[in-house]
Amino acid sequence: MTQAGAPLASEPAVELNGVSLRYDTADDILTDIDIRLKPGTFTFLTGPSGAGKSSLLKLLYLAHAPTSGEVRLFGQRTADMSRNQLSALRRRIGVVFQDFRLLDHLTAFENVALPLRVSGEKPEDYRDEVVDLVRWVGLGERIHAFPPALSGGEQQRLAIARALINKPDILIADEPTGNVDPDMARRIFRLFIELNRRLNTTIIIATHDMHIIREFKAPVLKLQDGLLFADSSYEQA
Amino acid sequence: MNIKMNPLLPESDAREAALFFVVAALCFLAVLATLVARGTYTAAEAWTAQVEGEMTVLVSDTDRRGAESAATLIEALPGVERAHVLTDEELDELLSPSFGPGGIPDGIPLPLLIAVDAEGDTTALAADIDAALAEAGINGRADTHSAYAAEVRKALGTLRIAAIGTVLLLTMTAISVIAFATHAALLARKDIVDVLHLAGAEDRFIARLFERRFWLLGLKAGAAGSVAALAVTAIIVFSAQSSNAPSELLPKLSLDQWDLMILAVSPIAGALAARIAARITVGRSLRSSL
Repeated sequence: MTQAGAPLASEPAVELNGVSLRYDTADDILTDIDIRLKPGTFTFLTGPSGAGKSSLLKLLYLAHAPTSGEVRLFGQRTADMSRNQLSALRRRIGVVFQDFRLLDHLTAFENVALPLRVSGEKPEDYRDEVVDLVRWVGLGERIHAFPPALSGGEQQRLAIARALINKPDILIADEPTGNVDPDMARRIFRLFIELNRRLNTTIIIATHDMHIIREFKAPVLKLQDGLLFADSSYEQA
Repeated sequence: MNIKMNPLLPESDAREAALFFVVAALCFLAVLATLVARGTYTAAEAWTAQVEGEMTVLVSDTDRRGAESAATLIEALPGVERAHVLTDEELDELLSPSFGPGGIPDGIPLPLLIAVDAEGDTTALAADIDAALAEAGINGRADTHSAYAAEVRKALGTLRIAAIGTVLLLTMTAISVIAFATHAALLARKDIVDVLHLAGAEDRFIARLFERRFWLLGLKAGAAGSVAALAVTAIIVFSAQSSNAPSELLPKLSLDQWDLMILAVSPIAGALAARIAARITVGRSLRSSL
């Protein structure tokens, strides 16, 4: 089995083949989904509430395994990977959760540094980097604050900083601008675009914000009743 | 630059305080059970060794002078340390459980008994004594107390099994309680575990957080339990020493080097059990997720 590594140029960064997902005995949440996203693509995922957007993202950030079909990241079939290989793969994926999932007992600095900490890096090696990123998302003054002391918008920015600190190969964000003002939303999306262009990060963003989708002109995948109304025609070259 | 970071698992909460008490109590009981079992076993061993090193020779059809001659004859045999005819006072004391404090009533014929302190195999020595008495024309028979000693040995075997069983039961209970508590802690901290998991933490990394937490808890609780057991044992030892109570059949709680070793090792054993229980529980729980 190969180690998780950089994808070959011809390999999709994200590939789902005939993926379905069902929880317990309920009906399929997702049905026969096919996606192929090349490295460096920027994709919006839309659809009404309950369409399965969050479930699809969970498959992509390896929180769930599909009921059927296969998930491939960087050309590797995730079902064939060991637990440690899956952990290594997760370290290449940044996730902005809809509910932020910040740890209340850690400071803003510590929350942002979390992915580096679990990778075994030393605080003195990443301190400046974390401080710069926290400042960039406008929380320099709140760097020692705990999440419960932050507003919803501040928590969202902190969650975004945590997703970006590892310079991930894939960034997955579930409604990343739901709690921030339009200016901050644009600023965050510009950062996503910058990451996408400079570091060739593959970005998948679930959003309802049609203004943002229109403004940033990226391909859109639409989920409706567990079915995906898009295919390779949305891929960027 | 050294940067102080908060632990990834929050500081202990009320659940862990309750667990601390339970583990400390279990460790206290396990240590006390071990010490008492060991003390009882040591006392019984010493008592049995004493019984097995003694013989009684019953001589008949002779007077006290004949019995004295028999004692002299026996004392000359190899393997005999001392032989003497029991005095009336010694017989009184020996038979007092049957006759009460009033002593032996007048008119009851008393047997002539020779107490023999022996070294080595008393069975072979009894045969030598019987042969020597027969050769000297003295009617006598040596009793090695073997049937009685066998009963005591049997009781000791049962005691040993009961002691080991008690300690094992307490240890298994402690491990089960800690496994249950780890599982509860894992559920209570599922939000943290999920975030760490999705941030790319390996199972071993997450398990180590819980292992370390429960190792320290087990060590502290075990130490508290051991100290409490030490205090109780010390009180028993000093009370027994100051009261001068007859203690032949009581546990010999002495706090010797072995007892102190049990006290020192128990918290480490408790902490190790806690760590292993945490590792297994966390490992199982994580493996059930992707």
